[in-house]
Amino acid sequence: MKVTFKIWRQEGPDDKGAIRAYEVDGLTEDMSFLEALDHLNELLVLKDEKVIAFEYDCREGICGQCGVFINGRAHGPHDNMTTCQLHMRSFKDGDTIVVEPWRAASFPVIKDLIVDRSAFDRIIEQGAFISSKTGTAPEANAIPIPKEVSDRAMDAAACIGCGACVATCKNSSAALFTSAKINHLNGLPQGRAEEHKRVAEMTYQMEIEGFGSCTFTGACEVECPEGISIINIAEMNARVTKSKVFG
Amino acid sequence: MKLNTKIPEGRLEDKWRNYQVKAQLINPANKKKLSVIVVGSGLSGAGAASTLAELGYDIKCFCYQDSARRAHSVAAQGGINAAKNYQHDGDSVWRMFYDTLKGGDFRSREANTYRLAELSAPLIDHYVQQGVPFAREYGGTLVNRSFGGVQVQRTFYARGQTGQQLLMAAYSQLYKMVRAKKVEMFPRSEMLDLVLIDGKAKGIIVRDLVTGELRRYAADAVVLATGGYSRVFRLSTLAIGCNGSALWKAHKKGAYFGAPSFTQIHPTALPQSSEAQSKLTLMSESLRNDGRIWVPDQKDDTRKANDIPEEERDYYLERRYPSFGNLAPRDIASRAAKERIDAGFGVGRLKNAVYLDFKHAIEKFGLETIKDRYGNLFKMYKKITGIDAYKEPMQISPAAHFSMGGLWVDYELMTTVPGLYAIGECNFSDHGANRLGANSLLQASVDGYFILPNTINNYLANEIKADHPTIAHPEFDKAEKEVKANIDRILAVKGTKTVDHFHRELGKVMWQECAMSRNKAGLEKAISQIKGIRDAFWNDVKVTGRGNELNTELEKALRLADFIELGILMCTDALERDESCGAHFREEFQTDEGEAVRVDEEYSYVSAWEYDRGDFKLHKEALEFEFVKPSVRSYK
Amino acid sequence: MALNQLFFRKTIIAATGLFLCIFLVVHLSANCILLLPEETARSLYNSYSTTLRESPLIKIVAYLLYLSIILHVVFALLITIANRKAKPQKYVMNSSRENSTWTSQNMGLIGTMILLFIVVHLANFWARIKLGMGDAVGLDAAGNVDVYEVTSSLFHNIYYVIFYTVLAIPLALHLHHGFKSAFKTLGFYHKKGLRIVAKIALVYAIVMGVGFGIIPFIVYSK
Repeated sequence: MKVTFKIWRQEGPDDKGAIRAYEVDGLTEDMSFLEALDHLNELLVLKDEKVIAFEYDCREGICGQCGVFINGRAHGPHDNMTTCQLHMRSFKDGDTIVVEPWRAASFPVIKDLIVDRSAFDRIIEQGAFISSKTGTAPEANAIPIPKEVSDRAMDAAACIGCGACVATCKNSSAALFTSAKINHLNGLPQGRAEEHKRVAEMTYQMEIEGFGSCTFTGACEVECPEGISIINIAEMNARVTKSKVFG
Repeated sequence: MKLNTKIPEGRLEDKWRNYQVKAQLINPANKKKLSVIVVGSGLSGAGAASTLAELGYDIKCFCYQDSARRAHSVAAQGGINAAKNYQHDGDSVWRMFYDTLKGGDFRSREANTYRLAELSAPLIDHYVQQGVPFAREYGGTLVNRSFGGVQVQRTFYARGQTGQQLLMAAYSQLYKMVRAKKVEMFPRSEMLDLVLIDGKAKGIIVRDLVTGELRRYAADAVVLATGGYSRVFRLSTLAIGCNGSALWKAHKKGAYFGAPSFTQIHPTALPQSSEAQSKLTLMSESLRNDGRIWVPDQKDDTRKANDIPEEERDYYLERRYPSFGNLAPRDIASRAAKERIDAGFGVGRLKNAVYLDFKHAIEKFGLETIKDRYGNLFKMYKKITGIDAYKEPMQISPAAHFSMGGLWVDYELMTTVPGLYAIGECNFSDHGANRLGANSLLQASVDGYFILPNTINNYLANEIKADHPTIAHPEFDKAEKEVKANIDRILAVKGTKTVDHFHRELGKVMWQECAMSRNKAGLEKAISQIKGIRDAFWNDVKVTGRGNELNTELEKALRLADFIELGILMCTDALERDESCGAHFREEFQTDEGEAVRVDEEYSYVSAWEYDRGDFKLHKEALEFEFVKPSVRSYK
Repeated sequence: MALNQLFFRKTIIAATGLFLCIFLVVHLSANCILLLPEETARSLYNSYSTTLRESPLIKIVAYLLYLSIILHVVFALLITIANRKAKPQKYVMNSSRENSTWTSQNMGLIGTMILLFIVVHLANFWARIKLGMGDAVGLDAAGNVDVYEVTSSLFHNIYYVIFYTVLAIPLALHLHHGFKSAFKTLGFYHKKGLRIVAKIALVYAIVMGVGFGIIPFIVYSK
């Protein structure tokens, strides 16, 4: 099959950048979207051009590195999917496919389709952990955790840190990401000891990083590869209030 | 050099304790003066970095991904084994040790394997405390499930995302120590060389993947936690960025490479569908609990799977291994699939797959039960292939997966280079010739959290008084120049073929001759073919862009250059071992029924290869089985 | 710890928004008086509005109301500015309609339309009755200020009727999203509860939209 890629090219953070069109032939429906870009890159090399810089690693939907905006949506046309799980069979022969990097002030473009998501790491740094050292753990079954509680923590913990929530949000809000981490840890008895500090510091960091506020458009939960529910944000809001009162 | 395994004295049960009692200690004030470099941020790397930082050492941690959280430990689905005996089904440290040793076809060290089992239980405690949401019973206690080749239930899991959940715990602990300013984290940084000063590992040369700048880092010890190298086959279940470069550079600087040819081929991955394919996605082994594997009775059967009647199907695993059937261990299931595919019975467009059929399970247990058990896997299968596996069988195929081989390490996890440690998948230690399912998360974690932090003191205690290395040392100049020259050389070729072209060539040779079954003639041919690929690569590769910028094509080229050399060593190792054991199946050494024949009298050793100016010299670490008598692995 | 702006601003918007939602219920129920036969409607409506104007309690509520509107608008403006800054570069292609409603993506625009409406609405009534601007307002038979007459004459102007009716649409849209989202902003995270809230929001928005939109028409056709 043959498609036209319209891809954002940007030499570096200070470059203005622009969309460039590439007609690519010889694709098959079985190819993943990223393999189609691989294919295009091979063609570019043979034409003596610089390859398109884009990110990926595991290519099985779990590492969270492969985020790009495809035809106006995070990770492409399907709900709850990563880019690496998107296949060319989702497009038609002759289609034009627009590919852009994540857009957010907190995710500056490094090159072409690659952005810097280290703001997420810095939010994690502000308390998305349980402060107990290696070697200090009590017996695993000593604290029973009801299945419902554990399952809810797992629902939130499934976040892969891809940044689609921020990318798709018109406000570039990192509320879904941050709330998922907070609810995972604060929901478990092990995380209780530091719950208020964690909420206060992580949400504060979210603000420092320049993410916007959540206005509940709900786009994030549709684009989230793990389908993390927006209710997590409501729960985080409750926790923020709680931390202001009791923290 | 004689290989010193440093295995402590005493009964198997006492060895680790005896070791700890005698190990040197470093007082907290002195720990602050010592620094350690950790390369890799997966379970072993992040675990080691955060734990060493908690102990007081200054840590620098490097990863090539954009965040430590992407390390490929994240992709492990099934679970993590631990001898907790929560199910009251007769499990014990000893039984787990024995299962692991036997699963590895008696090609690993008793003491190491026992320690792995011994430390598994506290590891579960550790992860629960870190907030890993393992599956629970309604009463609140932890759940276990069974896994391939084992008769007890000892696998802990967090849905189908166990690796991810463990990695999140490790990553968050790592960032806890970043916040405490005890760990400095360097993402998007790839180690391109190891620096030795007076024969000791004292630093690394790193390429900043954003700017292309070469940077030097010095420390009192270097820990490699860089994972597996199965991307040498190109198509594998590994992440695209996984590479063997750090290992290879260390190997070239004197670290022996242990059992390089021991690589596991996983039986249930999605088949290759085109030349352009970059990755083979793994489907959890747990599917074989209820799925039945078959191929058509006739060659080149073009009918749809559902149109082939029951009596014209060959359930070959059930036929060949009646007692284990579809749950035969990975190496055996993979080989059996290859045998059918090679014989022309393969299915799918490229005739490279076998069916994994849930029809009977759905009839027996009902659709809802199967959905409940494997729903997420069926969904994933549909996402990737577009096929509804509730209605027609899945097509699966073997794929390169885990590398049991890696840098040879002693009981302290130190390589043959003083001060250079290898932990996790990148070392050769506990799995022998075949790894049991759900043991890789375990080994990576135990190495990083529990073992290394206890053994590294023995080395560092003697470094307190030594001069702390600085990056101004001439050895750093030399190493950086070499790295720069290598990059310039690749960029200067300006040939006519892409990096991926050569990787595909290498992958084809490796997959054909050095994967599930191997033979002398094929391996000899492979070595000469790979040498040909190496020459062609250096004469005809084309990499566009510059060295001093973000250049993904250059990254790939540098990794491939090392993979090519590693491929030669893997074939050399496979050729040297005239026996079949675990994942290493030499066609010359099989029974009439096609089962592996191990030759304990001659090959009960770990091969440890020394790099010798482009050639490899074999050293042997004899495996002494003091406590367990090696038996024949049979799954009939 | 510094004030958490991301939450503080949204909390203010949500709280004032919900307060305004309650106010609208009262407002609409009063408007229903207009549907009664003319004479009953006139006396009831006028005496009701007189009571309101003279009650000290309602005075406090009225100030709260003004404050709510101002805070709601000011903070909405603040977060809109901050949110725009968080996404300085827009996508060349954005298919946001595939993952969210148009309303949720355009609350600022819809809110501005409502603000415009409020300005006109205040000029029509509040300015005339309270500030005494424009034509003097007469008294009815009971001696109450004849607010009914003001309303009735306004809604016999077809342009005003159209204006009021059309702007009931953004009102309904704004209320639908705002009502639901305010609960979440204020930290209500009960899964089933939120489903009920969503249903209530839909009913509420329809009733408000239809109610406010249809009354001018009915008055016009009287």
